[in-house]
Amino acid sequence: MLSHAEASEKFIADAERTDWHDETLWFVREKRDKVSKVLPEWEALREHASQIKDHTLANLGSYLQAFEEKAQANGIKVHWAADAAEHNAIVHQIIADQGSKILVKSKSMLTEECHLNDYLANKGIEVVDTDLGERIVQFRNEAPSHIVLPAIHLKKEDVGETFHQHLGTPKGNKDPQFLTEAARQHLRGHFLASEVAITGVNFAIAETGEFVVCTNEGNADMGAHLAKVHIACMGIEKIIPKREDLAVFLRLLARSATGQLITTYSSHFHKPREGQEMHIVLLDNGRTRQLADPKYKNSLKCIRCAACFNTCPVYRRSGGHSYHQPVAGPIGSILAPNIDKKANADLPFASTLCGSCSNVCPVKINIHEQLWFWRQDLMAAGLAPVSKTIGMKLMAFTLAHPAIYRIGGVFIRRFSGLLNTSLNPWYKQREMPEAPKESFQEWYKKR
Amino acid sequence: MSAREEILGKIYAQSEINHPGDFQGASEDFDFKAALEVVGARVLTAEALEIEFPGRRRYEKILDGLSLAEVEVLEIDGEFGVAENGAIWLTEEALPHRVAPFICQHLVINVSKIVPNMHAAYAELNKPNSSFGLFLAGPSKTADIEQSLVIGAHGARSLTVVIRA
Repeated sequence: MLSHAEASEKFIADAERTDWHDETLWFVREKRDKVSKVLPEWEALREHASQIKDHTLANLGSYLQAFEEKAQANGIKVHWAADAAEHNAIVHQIIADQGSKILVKSKSMLTEECHLNDYLANKGIEVVDTDLGERIVQFRNEAPSHIVLPAIHLKKEDVGETFHQHLGTPKGNKDPQFLTEAARQHLRGHFLASEVAITGVNFAIAETGEFVVCTNEGNADMGAHLAKVHIACMGIEKIIPKREDLAVFLRLLARSATGQLITTYSSHFHKPREGQEMHIVLLDNGRTRQLADPKYKNSLKCIRCAACFNTCPVYRRSGGHSYHQPVAGPIGSILAPNIDKKANADLPFASTLCGSCSNVCPVKINIHEQLWFWRQDLMAAGLAPVSKTIGMKLMAFTLAHPAIYRIGGVFIRRFSGLLNTSLNPWYKQREMPEAPKESFQEWYKKR
Repeated sequence: MSAREEILGKIYAQSEINHPGDFQGASEDFDFKAALEVVGARVLTAEALEIEFPGRRRYEKILDGLSLAEVEVLEIDGEFGVAENGAIWLTEEALPHRVAPFICQHLVINVSKIVPNMHAAYAELNKPNSSFGLFLAGPSKTADIEQSLVIGAHGARSLTVVIRA
């Protein structure tokens, strides 16, 4: 697996595409600014949402039990999964009981986290992703590169070619309207035929035992309302206490995500349809570990709007795939090390720590601070890249020994050209500054 | 030990943090029609609707959602509209089937009540819960191909709203 820096290097090799990616995401960020600034209460809403989440996390056990009790009373079957393997086994069992070999699934980053598609494929069950962006990347055997805009790394020419290969659209046709219509016809067939539908969950309400799913395309609803069996998969952190709390979160979610006033569909699933089976799978997969650590607990407040992706100067110029995780960007970089420290040790370093992520976060997660906390933890655990470890040790030694510091200074000033080589990773994309003729000390002594 | 006990056992009691209560100080000065335009819906008068969609239909309650697969223009009643975002609250009780507003090609919704914002909306719908309900704002849409907005992804290709007194 390539590290973030290595994968980014490949991504930026295509300068034109990198610029397009950067500008397109910044445009989404600007849309977010426009719709949020017209609400005088925007900052108060963020604060309120943050406080609701703080309160919920402090009482998560009791809210989960309240939710379970209400949902069961509503006729929904509730399952608990400690990790991804258990989650996948539960979902598979439900599908096997129904006897289905193919099913439709709307966007769910949690099922990406669990690698559910691959797991089910190995059991002979085909998953048809129904979100347009997700279907595109599924055809291409790729992972989504953005949690809200899964195919944002692709140009319409790429999508045209993919659809030509998989849906038989005319070669060279790259018109978004035409391609979307082709996908509509293709997926409508699957919606009408599927007996099982899997969806994600945006919010689950402890007070009522219902859950809310938000989409713009209507794919979650097309699947869930026609299927005999609806399986909703959620992380345990998606709980909120009351229905009224939804007002706050639904006002923030779409405005932060895409600059929309609200998603086209915000569906409240309270009870199964007559004759329908409805399941909810509650997944931990490291979330309780995150909850127990005061430094990282706040990351569980995330409502997956991806505003931090769109604003991040590193994400915009490195692409989602460079993060090698289902949830990329700044938030992914603080979630992923909790699941696997070693495999994701590069991610907290994929940031400038500029703090823009924290500034746009609708639930006020201190993302850039947590990135910094992770760097310290990873260095202490000996998991930082060797180049960084050696460099830091050398620097610490030099700064602790004035004589060596002085000699080093003289050396660098005389041979500053040595820094302008490819051996110096900092030189790659930067001009090194001119070394001054004399040091401050030398100048001071002459006075 | 079951996963349930394992998960609940790992959630340590945290220090007391109170729920902040209901949100106060929300703006109320919104224009429902303007918001409908933003979300891509069209507003027609009752007279214009007759000219535009003479063939629209209402449907009785049915159990089989698939039987609605060929519906061209469906007319339904919304419970209320939300001025801040153009969303309309629909409940299963007032629909032929849950899938109805999604599976039809074109959707017409009558609205006779408007609330200013989402806080007022939840205060309104907090009566006995529907078994299924949704906020619907405009026609189905996607921007998944190069961020180009395309109307009519999987749900209704158009939404027409008639505001009746």
